[in-house]
Amino acid sequence: MKLKHLIVATAVASLGSVSAASGDHYADFPVTLNGYDGDATTSVAYTGQMARHVLHNSLKKLAGSGTGDNADELLEQMLAYFEGGDSLDIIDPASKSGFAIKQSEVDAISTGKNLSGKAYGGYVTGWPGQMTGAEVLRFMIEKAAETEGGYDPVNGYNYAQLISKFAMGAVFYNQAVDNYLDERIEGDVKPNDKPYGEGDHYTGKEHVWDEGFGYFGAPAHALSLDAATAYSIAKQDPDVFDEADYNGDGVVDLVTEMTYAHAYYAANADKGGQSNYLNTIMQAFIDGRQLIADADGEKLSDDELDQLQGYADTIKSNWERVIAEAAFKYAGSVYSDAMALHEAVEEGDSVVDLMPTYVKHWGELKGFALSLQTGGKDLGSVGVQLDRLIGFGPVLLGSTQVTGIDGDGDYIQSESITLKEYALNMLEVQKLLSQNFHLVARSNDRLGNLESLSEQLESGANVEND
Amino acid sequence: MPGFNDVLSSLTTTFLDPSKRVFVGYLFLAAVIGALVWMAQGRSWRHYPRAVLSRRIWWSPSARADYQILVINQILFLFLAPWLLSHLTLATWLFEQLHRWIDTRPSVGLGWPDWSIPILFTLSLFLLDDFARFWIHRLMHRVPWLWAFHQVHHSARVLTPLTVLRTHPIEGVLFSLRSAVVNGVCIGGFVFFFDSRVDLVLVVGSNVFVFLFNLAGSNLRHTHCYLRYPAWLERWLISPAQHQVHHSAEPRHFDRNFGAVLAIWDRLYGSLLVSEPTAPKRFGVTRRRRPGEQKLVTLYGSPFLQAARVIRRWVSVRTTTIKQVNKEGRAHG
Ligand SMILES: [Zn+2]
Ligand SMILES: [Zn+2]
Repeated sequence: MKLKHLIVATAVASLGSVSAASGDHYADFPVTLNGYDGDATTSVAYTGQMARHVLHNSLKKLAGSGTGDNADELLEQMLAYFEGGDSLDIIDPASKSGFAIKQSEVDAISTGKNLSGKAYGGYVTGWPGQMTGAEVLRFMIEKAAETEGGYDPVNGYNYAQLISKFAMGAVFYNQAVDNYLDERIEGDVKPNDKPYGEGDHYTGKEHVWDEGFGYFGAPAHALSLDAATAYSIAKQDPDVFDEADYNGDGVVDLVTEMTYAHAYYAANADKGGQSNYLNTIMQAFIDGRQLIADADGEKLSDDELDQLQGYADTIKSNWERVIAEAAFKYAGSVYSDAMALHEAVEEGDSVVDLMPTYVKHWGELKGFALSLQTGGKDLGSVGVQLDRLIGFGPVLLGSTQVTGIDGDGDYIQSESITLKEYALNMLEVQKLLSQNFHLVARSNDRLGNLESLSEQLESGANVEND
Repeated sequence: MPGFNDVLSSLTTTFLDPSKRVFVGYLFLAAVIGALVWMAQGRSWRHYPRAVLSRRIWWSPSARADYQILVINQILFLFLAPWLLSHLTLATWLFEQLHRWIDTRPSVGLGWPDWSIPILFTLSLFLLDDFARFWIHRLMHRVPWLWAFHQVHHSARVLTPLTVLRTHPIEGVLFSLRSAVVNGVCIGGFVFFFDSRVDLVLVVGSNVFVFLFNLAGSNLRHTHCYLRYPAWLERWLISPAQHQVHHSAEPRHFDRNFGAVLAIWDRLYGSLLVSEPTAPKRFGVTRRRRPGEQKLVTLYGSPFLQAARVIRRWVSVRTTTIKQVNKEGRAHG
């Protein structure tokens, strides 16, 4: 079975369309659709998802570009990337010296795509105003347009971070784990013996799986990259250009050769050497895709469906942990920032440099914490505790915090806890996340040394007398 | 639920883990030091093995009680372990509390060399632990209901290295509490002030100072090898002989030398006694043997009865006093 894939891949390679292919590459799976007589050589297709990744990246860039007096214009531009528009330029990732990008327009990847139509439809309990995921994103976009650089110092929001991190959950994670890798991999939905849609050259299951993979955001050859390289590709570091440009055509293809969103955060966690999320998720995607290819255009048996479900479960649980790891990391940053701010206030030092960092880290923390709750499963008390510990906004210098939104969509601030107590909340957030999601990377672990020292000392029973 | 294998592995750990007092390596070293002491006392090395491996020591009723207590405690603490306070819980609590008690989290020792903080931490841990051992030990001798439990250790008539584990489970629970407090306070406190620079200086998995103590023949304190240190040194370190004095059945030796490693605590509290030229005649709580004193029922059960008696007496004294006071109050009123 693997052999067949290899033969096809080799055949394709010999035709010169790709430089090399191997079993660890998410590409070149054959066309298996029965009765297909077109000239497509592979059934792999996930350009729609990659178009959404560049929409997301570009939107993030825009959200941080406000000048304070271009609100209407900026809002219109941001909404184009959020709700879809014609002939949009790719603002990010764009070519730069030493890191040339193949596509410069969204339409060159896929046409007619948007983010808003795919955003989480449930209520977001962690954000004020009783809004759905899509509504929260739109609300944040409107707010971002009015700011300078996406930064609201009065309420403590960094919209570029909030929009980006929450969109990663509300759109990409939600679509993948709550839709494609969930109901759509069941037997009767999008079966493998029929085309995905009228006239498609791929089967239902092939395309469902591809779409799930696309949302993850990994380059197709991610398994051949180490975590640090996969990470640096997203940063467009010229040092890793050759590794990024898998087919050696001198440009990085935004469909198959770029690292985005959660794949980037998986690599970020893994480069610490403690975890292996990127490879684990990638391998499960490839194994699942191979299983579908091996079915050769027939309906999947119950056994095969169970196996596919197993791969999907591996992907979902590890993906969730990637988000939890990111939230954990930023909770550690927010702890340090809040303590530094508290100290500066106590000593009468300037907070001008400290505040933006605190707000930025908080935006990342909040975005990931909100994202965790968009996977379609109820986190129960863990979700409630996360929302309470983090709050609707960061605790500000006067011990106030955003606690709601009024009828005009303006924030309401109320008396809250002190910065120091809020820093302690962040320790609780770290405890909560590491316990409930079995985290291993744990960057910025503020309690980690307590734990490792405790492990070195004998605990419990000790009956040695004197 | 712990099973047979857990008991077995916990027993092997006791002897094969270098962080334990009765680790085979330390026992061997103690035997070697013991041989040197034997010869220094002018006796032939030929007679040493027979003396050390004597059946009168290792198969005495007292030693057999040591073995039984050792096994029973191992099993008991496998079940108790999950309920004992962990030092991580305490360290975390203290770390968070310090944020509240101290205004800002100070960065201490920024200019100090990297090795200095692990050494400071390891030394502090050792000192605090040694003091806590002394202090709790002293308390166990002075508070009657605690003495009821600690006297199980003192009821040994023959001292073998395993006597170190001859401990009533109630005392064992107090010891784990003591470790939790000492370790928790040190870890929580140090991490608050020095953050990630804190580390422990370990030698084969145990605190370097504890390792040195064990290397120096710590096991000899529970043997009949009367190893004395020069008087000046016995004012700093508790010698095996000094601990044997602590086990003496002579009333004039009672309540002396509570210390584990350092003698300075005994000096501070006025309980230090340097060793005399001759070894104590008898070990135990009383001079005369009491019938059944080495039976398990007595060793495990009688402390509870004794403690209950002490508490009952205390309660009755109090109620009498209160009645007295009330009566007097009425008379005056
Ligand atoms: Zn003793
Ligand atoms: Zn004693």
